[in-house]
Amino acid sequence: MTAPRPPGPAGGPAVRCRSLGVYFGAVRALHDVSLDLAAGRIHAVVGQNGAGKSTLAKVLGGLQAPKTGEVHIAGRRLPAGDVRAARDAGFAMVHQHFSLPPSFTVAEALELTAARGGSRSIYRRTDLHRRWQHELADVGGETALSTRIRDLPVETRQSLEIVRALASEARILMLDEPTALLTPAATDALFERLRRLRDRGVTVIIVLHKLREVAAIADTVSVLRDGELVLGPIEWSEVSQGRISDAIVGSAPAAERIAGVGAGETPRPGLSEGPTPPNTNKRTLLELVRVSSRESAFEPGLRSVDLNVEAGQIVGVAGVEGNGQRALVSTIAGLQPVTEGSVIIGGADATGVSAGRRRLQGLRLVPFDRNSEGISRSAPLWLNQSALRLIASRRQRSPLVSVRGLKRQAAEAMDHWRVRYDSVAQPADSLSGGNVQRLILSRELAPGLELLVAAQPTRGLDFAATGFVRRSLRELRQQGAGVLLVSSDLDELFELSDRLVVMYGGGVAARFEAPYDPSAVGDAMTGAVR
Amino acid sequence: MEQILATTLRSAAPVVLVATAGVFAFRAGVFHLGLEGLMITGAFTTVAVADATGSVGLGILAAVGVCMVLSVLYWWVIGPLGANVIIAGLGLTSIGLGGTAFALGAIFDRRGSMFTDTVLPRPVSGITSGLGVIVSEHSILVWITPLIVLAAWVILRRSRFGLRLAAAGEYPFAARTAGVNPSIVRLQALLIAGALCALGGAELSVGALNNFTENMTNGRGFIAFVAVIFGAWHPIGAALAGLFFGLADAIGIQSQINITERVPREFVLMIPFVLTIFAVWLGGLWRRRSLEAEAGYAELREPDF
Amino acid sequence: MTDGLQRWASTAAMVGLSFLLTAAILQVSGYGVGDVFSGVIEGSITAPGAASSSIRWAIPLLLIGLGVAVGFRAGFFNVGGQGQFYVGACAALAVTLGWSDGPAPLVIPCGMLAAVVTGMAWSLLPGYLRVRFGTDEVLTTLMMSFIGALVLQYLTAGPMRNPSGTGQTAASERIPEAFRITDGSGVSTTVVVLVGGVAALVWLLLERTRFGMTMTLVGRNPTMARWQGIDVRRVGLINFALSGALAGLAGAVELYGPAGRLVTGFSPEVGFTAVVVALVGLLSVGGTIVAAVFFGGLQSAILFLPIVTDLPSPALVLLHGMVAFLVTVRFRAARRQRAASGAEARAS
Repeated sequence: MTAPRPPGPAGGPAVRCRSLGVYFGAVRALHDVSLDLAAGRIHAVVGQNGAGKSTLAKVLGGLQAPKTGEVHIAGRRLPAGDVRAARDAGFAMVHQHFSLPPSFTVAEALELTAARGGSRSIYRRTDLHRRWQHELADVGGETALSTRIRDLPVETRQSLEIVRALASEARILMLDEPTALLTPAATDALFERLRRLRDRGVTVIIVLHKLREVAAIADTVSVLRDGELVLGPIEWSEVSQGRISDAIVGSAPAAERIAGVGAGETPRPGLSEGPTPPNTNKRTLLELVRVSSRESAFEPGLRSVDLNVEAGQIVGVAGVEGNGQRALVSTIAGLQPVTEGSVIIGGADATGVSAGRRRLQGLRLVPFDRNSEGISRSAPLWLNQSALRLIASRRQRSPLVSVRGLKRQAAEAMDHWRVRYDSVAQPADSLSGGNVQRLILSRELAPGLELLVAAQPTRGLDFAATGFVRRSLRELRQQGAGVLLVSSDLDELFELSDRLVVMYGGGVAARFEAPYDPSAVGDAMTGAVR
Repeated sequence: MEQILATTLRSAAPVVLVATAGVFAFRAGVFHLGLEGLMITGAFTTVAVADATGSVGLGILAAVGVCMVLSVLYWWVIGPLGANVIIAGLGLTSIGLGGTAFALGAIFDRRGSMFTDTVLPRPVSGITSGLGVIVSEHSILVWITPLIVLAAWVILRRSRFGLRLAAAGEYPFAARTAGVNPSIVRLQALLIAGALCALGGAELSVGALNNFTENMTNGRGFIAFVAVIFGAWHPIGAALAGLFFGLADAIGIQSQINITERVPREFVLMIPFVLTIFAVWLGGLWRRRSLEAEAGYAELREPDF
Repeated sequence: MTDGLQRWASTAAMVGLSFLLTAAILQVSGYGVGDVFSGVIEGSITAPGAASSSIRWAIPLLLIGLGVAVGFRAGFFNVGGQGQFYVGACAALAVTLGWSDGPAPLVIPCGMLAAVVTGMAWSLLPGYLRVRFGTDEVLTTLMMSFIGALVLQYLTAGPMRNPSGTGQTAASERIPEAFRITDGSGVSTTVVVLVGGVAALVWLLLERTRFGMTMTLVGRNPTMARWQGIDVRRVGLINFALSGALAGLAGAVELYGPAGRLVTGFSPEVGFTAVVVALVGLLSVGGTIVAAVFFGGLQSAILFLPIVTDLPSPALVLLHGMVAFLVTVRFRAARRQRAASGAEARAS
């Protein structure tokens, strides 16, 4: 388990932070973080969302200047907020978000991000390609240097990010949540790569979400909570998982917060208040019959998809991202036309029906990206909360509405869902991620719901918020609604789904019933079905 | 025919110069609607300074300087001060149009226009027949324009600076992770754009003509803006689009001479505007696919701060 | 609440700064700023006829500005008000001249309707291209504006030219006095009631109807609006139609009101100034009214000023440019707070 330890460059730690602090207004993103990370090892950094992991990564990489404290890399003090200096000191970073411009070719992107440029500031294409051909060989793939970044699959893009990071012969590599978009197989491959790098003496710092992954890769682990370092760095072999979980969640009050989701905060989607659907438990709420749709430039279209969701059922959709999940959800929502087949919602053919009408028929959506698709960040909370009401009540005669009434209804719904806010007039981007998701749920899970399509509903949420969302979905199932759950989190799908389909290349590659065999699901996701 | 081609080159040159300016700005992520204002400022400053000093070189130098200063102000307002790019750009255009007209009347005490004897040299002139007519009577700036376009291509498509500039415009996060400050790159692009606009204005006032007239750019800055879109943000493409507009202009002038009897002048004057709408429409269709391709990045893309 | 206050404060500060800068330029150019200032007060308020002249200029700014505000609210940068204004006026003139023996209570509404419809059409072409093909509307509305100016020029110099006119600028025939809704001052009860009523309707639409709120959502985040089942294309088309209708109506009011005839290139700055007016008014109806009166006063002063000083009208263009250049600037503190809360949302 314990890896060999090559000595650090100056015998000291590869990275040393002293009382780092980063503050956004009243929010402490990082507070008094002091940390020594030994050279030639793999260090995991874990914590809830908003605990400061990404901020720490940005400070180390020079993207964010800390308000207090200092960073030493390989014994040298870094000027604050200077990406170049960090890289010159041998620190390379693979960001959570991809950092290669989509329209660039592979060669251009690598040249852009190379720490030191080629010999001249003006280049010829052939020279550029020659220069990077050699570095690329390491990726193993047959990636052409003239391919555009946007045409590459996710895994290849991430490999490129690592190639880019290491091209400058970095001695320290930091990865911010690199596994979020990867399949289990790709994650294993990444970890293998990282181990090889460690064995070559590279110090690896990796921000992770899942303890399972920490167990698989880390030599040491550090835990951040509310911007403070609460544990570590400590040898993985010397610490129990329970202790780490406690550190992540915090002591009694915080633990209660999590547990409390069950006790005090039972979500009660107000279904009972609405016209209750005649609950003949086998009613089919959604049916796709051989549905195909046009491909978009970054995702395949649907290919003859058959799918149905019955009342009182959660149907999971698994798959590596970019295999048609987005097309599936858009097609059901009525945002994208079908080229073939039919979409039947609540027993009625909805193929040519507008998105708004589908909403009126009881279709509710939790979109993929809550900040760009789920809310308007600059609009006030009440308007965000009322969005569905603006459509749903169009049948009423008067076109006039009472703003006060909308605000009151919005406040009631948000209170019911325990959204934490000061005023209904504040802009939605003042909420934290978990609270934004609660806001969306408070809007979508209102009376009238028959079918919920939830796309990545817990992505990026902390433990407490994740638990809350999952409980809400179960609650919906109990009340006889149908749920289509699209997720990249297999654990979540296994835990919640009554049935599971796997999407691959725009089609349904396989269907599973509980209990699930993770390796079979994984095979289907990677197209290895036999 | 030769005459039309000659006129095409003459009307295209200022538009191509300003369109090249636009390509720099667009690629750096600035939807630059102040081109018209910078262009007329360049035209005015060149005439004013050239006439005062007797040196056209000094005039152009001063124009480049003034336009660069205005560009810095524009950058400051839309960058660090967070103003709306389009509104501030239109404001810059009004400042240019109003400021030059005001200065003409208030400072130089002229009404409408101002003439000068100091004009740009014309390397080839005096040819009145044959194919030579095409290249005759063009100012030195017309001759240099292709070189400038070529240089722009090298800078934008074959240099590390060009990569940084494109990254700053397309995906600022990528630029930042590469240790590039997108804001500074944008400033550099706007400075280059300012200088090129000054040249475009100078060609208009002391290249093709020998005077400055109120509102003499007459929408050419906007036409250049359209050429950028029509040319798919590519320096060569934009230059070709500029040439195309030059041709349309030349045909318009020609038909004004020939067919005014049958077609009202106003309808002929409408042609470039109608073509422009058409071009924007086509250009939009053309870019659509790539925009769609980038839509997937929406969730990964950070707002620029 | 504080957010709103901050925005007003920042806007007022920027307008003030633009004035200071312009004043500085005037001072440097040898105009006495004190004289200009007292001249502006005199020319917009105190001089005989100045106050009504201010209102006369505020009316087109308000109507077109409301159209701009409606457009910008939904995220459509419809900056073609000038052309829509011109073609609206032309349509009203055509109806009036074609039916000059009709009863005024019938002809005037018909002329106004024609103006509204024509303005709408002028705006809907770019609008359709925008919602159907994603064609950039800033450019197309601007081009339509240039074309509208040429249409006016063609009509006043050709088919509708006053044959007995001797002036150098082409002008149409006068409409019969019976069809005027104001005298030459451009202000009358009818006009004020009409424009006030329109402003009230726009307010009702924006602030108190589902459709108005839907429009705001589309403007804030069209992607989210689509996911909410809002028909963004329909909202966009209605929006462009509304902006064009308001600008077209402004053209008719100009014709039946102060102008009485159309002159090539009349009120050349009004379209762009209306954009500035809407922005200074922060896209709210009340704010747009205040800003329209303010800039109407300035316009009036510029026309009165030559009596006091010899300030040329390009100074006004310069000033409008300054205001547009600066008015969307936001205070750093407010933006930083925004960025921080945004960063939080991203981090989690």
